[in-house]
Amino acid sequence: MTGITRPVPVPDEVSAPFWEAAGRHVLTLARCARCGAFTHPPDAVCRGCGSADPGFEFVEVDGAGTVRSWTVMRQSFLPGFDDDVPFVLVDVELAAAPGIRLIGRLLDGPGAPLRTGRSVTLAFEDLGPGLAVPAFELAPAGEG
Amino acid sequence: MPRTFEARNRVAIAGYAQSPITRHAGCSLGALTLETARRAIGDAGLRVDEVDGFVTATLFPTSGAHALSDGTSLVSANWLAEHLGVNPRYAAGFQGMGQLPGAVAMAVNAVASGAADYVLVHRALHNPQGSYHGNPMIEARGDQQWTAPQGFFGPVAMIALAYNEYLQRFGAEREAMAVVVEEARKNGSRIPWSHWYEKPLTTEEYLGAPMINDPICRFDCDIPVDGVAAFVFTSAERARDLPHRPVYVSGFASGFPVRRRLPLHWPLDDIMEVGAETARRLWEATGIGPGDVDLPQVYDGFSPFVYLWMESLGFCPVGEAHRFVRDGGIDSDRAGALPVLSGGGALGNGRMHGVPQMLECYLQLSQRAGARQRADASVALACHSSPHLGGVVVYSAEP
Repeated sequence: MTGITRPVPVPDEVSAPFWEAAGRHVLTLARCARCGAFTHPPDAVCRGCGSADPGFEFVEVDGAGTVRSWTVMRQSFLPGFDDDVPFVLVDVELAAAPGIRLIGRLLDGPGAPLRTGRSVTLAFEDLGPGLAVPAFELAPAGEG
Repeated sequence: MPRTFEARNRVAIAGYAQSPITRHAGCSLGALTLETARRAIGDAGLRVDEVDGFVTATLFPTSGAHALSDGTSLVSANWLAEHLGVNPRYAAGFQGMGQLPGAVAMAVNAVASGAADYVLVHRALHNPQGSYHGNPMIEARGDQQWTAPQGFFGPVAMIALAYNEYLQRFGAEREAMAVVVEEARKNGSRIPWSHWYEKPLTTEEYLGAPMINDPICRFDCDIPVDGVAAFVFTSAERARDLPHRPVYVSGFASGFPVRRRLPLHWPLDDIMEVGAETARRLWEATGIGPGDVDLPQVYDGFSPFVYLWMESLGFCPVGEAHRFVRDGGIDSDRAGALPVLSGGGALGNGRMHGVPQMLECYLQLSQRAGARQRADASVALACHSSPHLGGVVVYSAEP
């Protein structure tokens, strides 16, 4: 991954399908084959039914959701973000998976009008070939 | 039937020592711990060879890539016993969050069960050279893969999301938090061993400080330090034969969320839901309620924890702490106020992870607070960490 100076996800045997899909700009969540509940991040055990053999399948979900909180990152303790600060991180509850919350960059930037409950849609930050991380953008005005 | 703590007031603190709290101690953390432990044992009127139990929590609360080295960046119970030349009957470390309340609970249980007669609880905190939380990670593995690639990392961003949720939900303003931080620094400025001794903070300084991760500024965070504190626990009966007035442990409580979250994602609802259960357990164990506590010492390693603990424990209604503090509700110099930071807390002492809260309970209830001695404090409590992961201990001046 030459040229990338910020942390890149290293897929493991559980998470590999998630990152493969993200590279295609598709958001997936781990769904339990026993009860159908989502667990994110995926875990050894299904948080819905408690199965220790959840047979997780990564299924595509709509990444639209609502902002529960946000922060403007004016300083980062990680390498590779010095040219990006200040940037906005949003805490988003997914409409397609109530209770599941993701944290990602708000690509609209630090001047964007934010409030809790604001609707956002899924976006991706491309870090390299086949390598992208989920992010968000404000939904068009009038959508909350 | 309520689950009252069976060892209620049967175990007591008999002595203590607190090192100077400095940015860098000028000696190893192990050396500072050894000296502090010897002083605490002597303070309790004991010889080192009479101490037969050692408990601590070793968590080094950094997100950086610093080396973990026993005796240098942390000090375990076994390291301390070994270097004091003691072969203890009981040595243990608390692994969870709320490290100091957790260690106190283990020490109390050890004494109450007879596993040890005199248990030394210490907490040693280290400030390494270089950036405290800075981490050169370029490959995000394991749990970190879900958040570090997005730039969400470290405890400042963690508390920033929860605090902003609080501000938005309850219409709170940062000006109210200036009152909290000034209160901690005012009290810390009166404590000779504090890093902030004789250094109070003004509203202008607080509101003028640059943001790190909005809405958290530098002064909302405690400052990393080198420091050690140690306390000697024994049975109430034995404590009454020792030089200092015993301070009894009435009970303790902790909690842990079961909901799956991203690493370091602490939504406000998780904090408050689990915090309410922790509070319920505490009042059930101790048989008292918030109105019976004269001296609640809430945790403040990040300033928003002050609101969250006050509300979780029922010292004010949920969503009201920011108004409570603006109305002078926590001013330790005002009669009738709730002096939740009278010991200066972490913001007024340095990153001592719950030590200032516990020490203030001990000093006030044992009548050893000197010029800061408060009248009429007989029930106190000390919190550490967040209400949904941490713990709280109730202390009493009377058995």
